[in-house]
Amino acid sequence: MGFLNTPAPYVLAGLILYFITYMTYSRYIDRKIWQADPNRPTPAKMYFDGVEYFPVSKYVLFGYQFKSVAALGPIVGPLTAVLFYGWVPALLWVIFGNMFIGWVQDYSAMMMSVRNEGRSMGPITYKLLGGRARTILLVYLVFYLIIITAVFEWTIVDVLNRVTGTFEAVLFVLLGGILFGQMVFRLKWDVLRSTIIALLIVLVGYFLVAFVPAIRVPPVNFLDNPSFLQQFAPYAGGANPAALTWPGTNTALFWIVIISILYFAAAVTTMPKFLLPTVYVGYLPSIIALVLVLIAAIFSPLTGLTIQQTAIKALYVNPLVNPQGGPIWPILFVTIACGAISGWHSLISSGLSSKQLEYETDALPVGGGAMMTEGAVALSSIAAMMVLATPPAGAAAYVQGATTLTSKLLNVPPIFMNLLYGIFVTVMGLITSMLFVRVFRLTMAELFEGSILGNKYVSTIIILILAGFLAFVGSWTNLWIFFGGTNQLLAALALLLVAIFLASQKRPSAYTFIPGIFMAITTLAALAWETYVYGLYALMGKPIGVQAAAAKIYGAALPQVSNYISAAFGALLLVLGIIMTYYLIAGWVKYRREARK
Amino acid sequence: MGILNRIREVIEGMAVHGQATSILRIKAQIDNLFMIITLGDMLGIPLLPPYYSLRLLPYMFPNIQSWKLYMLRERDVTDLIS
Repeated sequence: MGFLNTPAPYVLAGLILYFITYMTYSRYIDRKIWQADPNRPTPAKMYFDGVEYFPVSKYVLFGYQFKSVAALGPIVGPLTAVLFYGWVPALLWVIFGNMFIGWVQDYSAMMMSVRNEGRSMGPITYKLLGGRARTILLVYLVFYLIIITAVFEWTIVDVLNRVTGTFEAVLFVLLGGILFGQMVFRLKWDVLRSTIIALLIVLVGYFLVAFVPAIRVPPVNFLDNPSFLQQFAPYAGGANPAALTWPGTNTALFWIVIISILYFAAAVTTMPKFLLPTVYVGYLPSIIALVLVLIAAIFSPLTGLTIQQTAIKALYVNPLVNPQGGPIWPILFVTIACGAISGWHSLISSGLSSKQLEYETDALPVGGGAMMTEGAVALSSIAAMMVLATPPAGAAAYVQGATTLTSKLLNVPPIFMNLLYGIFVTVMGLITSMLFVRVFRLTMAELFEGSILGNKYVSTIIILILAGFLAFVGSWTNLWIFFGGTNQLLAALALLLVAIFLASQKRPSAYTFIPGIFMAITTLAALAWETYVYGLYALMGKPIGVQAAAAKIYGAALPQVSNYISAAFGALLLVLGIIMTYYLIAGWVKYRREARK
Repeated sequence: MGILNRIREVIEGMAVHGQATSILRIKAQIDNLFMIITLGDMLGIPLLPPYYSLRLLPYMFPNIQSWKLYMLRERDVTDLIS
């Protein structure tokens, strides 16, 4: 029983099942449905231009695809699901969702793009369904980006507030990134030498913060009164008032302003000046942190860490009692926003990876393999939650769990691992959301070309104000469900689009159509549920969960306005989602009928 | 390919590949200007005296086909996400 009472067997079971899926089901789909042929020229070879289209090794592309898809999603989603519903439902969805839906979407979107001259989702939608469907997709994308930026912003705020010293250490990462960019692009220094200098700066920051407690300022909630915040604590008995953080408090506002400045810099400067070197310098230590937590989870029987979480906590959370949950279906399926399935991946698969595949047969290891590796990240996040008896809400729980797992394995003081995972989560969140803000600016420039809304400064400020406001006031778990709903609805739309493409090619399409329909119904139901919860609380004039702190500081009207905006966003996304689903199902029926003639 | 090389390539993909492609795009924008200046007179825009155009043409010639493909490609905002 000892072994079964640790996270190891469940993580190993997941990894083995992913491996079996990869060797059997995935290969069957690759060979029989898509008939991937290494001799068929890929867009990288046919349209070689040395800029966007050029063949790249499958290992490099795998690394690129994994880095682009795995951020905070597979970490925060599973731990939130464990917090509300228990570790067994979360584990089952991460394993089986990925086996039958997750990799299917990533791989199929990539193959669809490869067979369409490397085109991305927008042009393929236009080709198969027409201009109106593409415009709806773009509008949907704009709202999706606002919500995803808001939730990532809040996740970073949460970690900065709870894991003391993270901000100072992250400043060194940013400094290392900026200097790396200057050394390579301005001073033309050797990349290896510049990398060593940049990593030394990161290490100096890390050890300085770890060894000198005085540097770990500002302390948590330095702008708020902890005893005032204590009254909103869900775990009032055991919570340390100094470690509390709530939406709408002054400290949260401070961090949101700091993060917004970073987003603004990343969105308006050229990529090699800030965003890309920061990604480079920040990602190198992150790889170590990522691998380490998975190893520590597998070796948990040796460290003696046992499961502290309840297997199944609830099947239904009454919104009037706790508005941050809901029925296990559909809420659990969207709470785990990545790790099981994610719509963002289809945009990445069809955006660049498909243009650089050397052989068609590389699509499976690159698209499918990267998604299953992301599933392993989600499994490690569940393992990190399993070993905590009273985890805090939010990404800080991952930091705490990963610290518990790894510090025991490496036998080092917890402060080192705590800081490493604080940096890891913050950097992963920052580099991805900086990209979201940039993509929003570009999408707005496309949609509102020539108008003031398309201006790069105006559009960046719009997303920063909207996302900042939602993150500042909104209760983050509800926003996370919104993000999961929109993200997975995008995945459903991608799956249905692939089904249409396969039908147009007279190939079997059920393997993407059935998961597509399941995800469409699930995500539309989740969006409807969250719209109802936001609408209900807005109409009642009551704050959702810890919005109570904001209501007490700034007045009840502030969270109410936020809840009305969130309900309106939800309703709009729901309508757009229903229209897109209708277009896609009608398109599939039409193409199937034509194929049978 | 040895296992160490594979790991090196995976790490390269995670940390550098996005950066490399982005720099290639910036370089392509500068190359566009150079191509237009050099080949301008052939397009009816005499930007450079033909003497210099002809001197530069052998160096530009190998890239003309891929440049044409790059320039004439239809682009969408969803291409810019990655």
